[in-house]
Amino acid sequence: MSEKILNCSLIFSDVIELEGSLTKNKINLKGEQGNFDGSIKLTDSTERLIVNLINKSDFKINLSLNIDVGPNCFLEIRDESNYDNGSEFKIESKLNKDSIFELFRLNKFNPESVNSFNHKIDLSGNCEFRDFNFSNGSQEMNSKTIISLKEKNASYIGSGAVISNSTNAKNELIINHLSKSAKSDCSFKTVSRGKSNITFSGMVFVDKDCSDTESTQISKGLVMDEEARINLIPMLDINNDDVVCAHGAASGKPDENILFYLKSRGISKEDAEKIYIEGFLGEFVDKISNDEMQKKAFNYITSIS
Amino acid sequence: MLEIKKLNVSVEDKHILKDLSLNIGKGEIHAIMGPNGSGKSTIAHTLAGNPNYLVQSGQIEFHNKNLLELDPSDRSLLGLFLAFQYPIELPGVTNATYLKQIVNVHRKKEGLDPIDAGEFLKLLREKSKRLDIPMDMHSRFVNTGFSGGEKKKNEVLQMDLLNPSLVIMDETDSGLDVDALKSTSEAVNQLRSSDRSFIIITHYLRLLEYIEPDFVHVFQDGAIVESGDKSLASRIDQEGYAG
Repeated sequence: MSEKILNCSLIFSDVIELEGSLTKNKINLKGEQGNFDGSIKLTDSTERLIVNLINKSDFKINLSLNIDVGPNCFLEIRDESNYDNGSEFKIESKLNKDSIFELFRLNKFNPESVNSFNHKIDLSGNCEFRDFNFSNGSQEMNSKTIISLKEKNASYIGSGAVISNSTNAKNELIINHLSKSAKSDCSFKTVSRGKSNITFSGMVFVDKDCSDTESTQISKGLVMDEEARINLIPMLDINNDDVVCAHGAASGKPDENILFYLKSRGISKEDAEKIYIEGFLGEFVDKISNDEMQKKAFNYITSIS
Repeated sequence: MLEIKKLNVSVEDKHILKDLSLNIGKGEIHAIMGPNGSGKSTIAHTLAGNPNYLVQSGQIEFHNKNLLELDPSDRSLLGLFLAFQYPIELPGVTNATYLKQIVNVHRKKEGLDPIDAGEFLKLLREKSKRLDIPMDMHSRFVNTGFSGGEKKKNEVLQMDLLNPSLVIMDETDSGLDVDALKSTSEAVNQLRSSDRSFIIITHYLRLLEYIEPDFVHVFQDGAIVESGDKSLASRIDQEGYAG
């Protein structure tokens, strides 16, 4: 896979604009007034394509996108936008042999907006999907991701975090192990404040022929206020004995011993809670191997804690 | 500097400190020894303001202020520092970030601007060297995965960075090997000054051989049963508390 990097931007405004010129790789998106659809198709494995999504629209964004990452190709999508008027994303992705797809979403939503994100992704042999998603705000957020590891050595690593003050958020993740020797590693964290009600359900399905499967799923929640709610639902459906699957879920209030330790150093109650949240979320930012995005994720956490 | 009068403290409905009185003058070093469960850590946490330690009655004055009216952060900003027996792990926050943050909180109290990155790095290098702390420890999460000795050294490092007027060391020597005990004690000795007082809680004479106390107090059942000079610690080391 080439180290040559090509950067481009997709800007949502009255229409959709592409900044940057592509070679053999194709981005075809069209639409207006917030309704956009089209595709990203990569065939050139000599360059790593980074696509930045930038929202400058006054409308709710409805995006329908098909992604096809060709053999040996590398695609990275970064979305660091604020969605003031809501958003509805529907993405279908296909990763062909030996390809990599990195998806970074560090989004802030208007507290009164309604948002949804649906992603269905199929992985072929030796493919890797890395998915990192942080969201803050939104009145309603529905997120569903279905990942199918269809061939040998396909792998998925992902982290998601929802930080909210008054959100009803439903996050559903389904990981289908449909071939042997596939790997998945998922972490989900949430910080629930005010009257937020956040649900995460994570299903790991391992088909009967899928020996040598490795899967980890961890979900953790931090309940900051009396009326805040968190519901974590980890599920396993394993139909083969030759697997290593681990899962865990835990939620609760901040550890008073940690808060006291911080306060004993002169840090105020408010700042101690902020540091606590930064630590809680920062723990899994470490999983992001992309240095630039790791730094951005830390900055994002600091800005919303 | 610190005046404790007839202090009664309970933890989870258990009466631990019973009419405890103790005065600590400027620049003095007081060692507190005593068997397990005698209330040594209770006095440390009560002074620091741990909400799990409930003061039933009594008074504590620190720098002529009623310490019991202050929350833990204000106590720290007033110059009180507790080196924890079991330092807390804080995953997700690097030690360097944390240390810079606590330094800046105290600078703010003094009306100073936040320390700049270069100046902080220089300060951290200098103070870490004194304690034989490798700089790469600061890129790890606070106390997370640290050995017992590393955690204790990190406590002493914080003490050094915050420049407190009263230091309470709660069994800082436990978990330290001979070399770490020596370097930690040397660092503490360098921090001794006529303006800074220490309360050193320990089970063992070995720490007091490095950091010589002015007074030694023996705790039993939540009260001081005997006070003396360093020779009292030597006697306890030889004869035990029962002797």
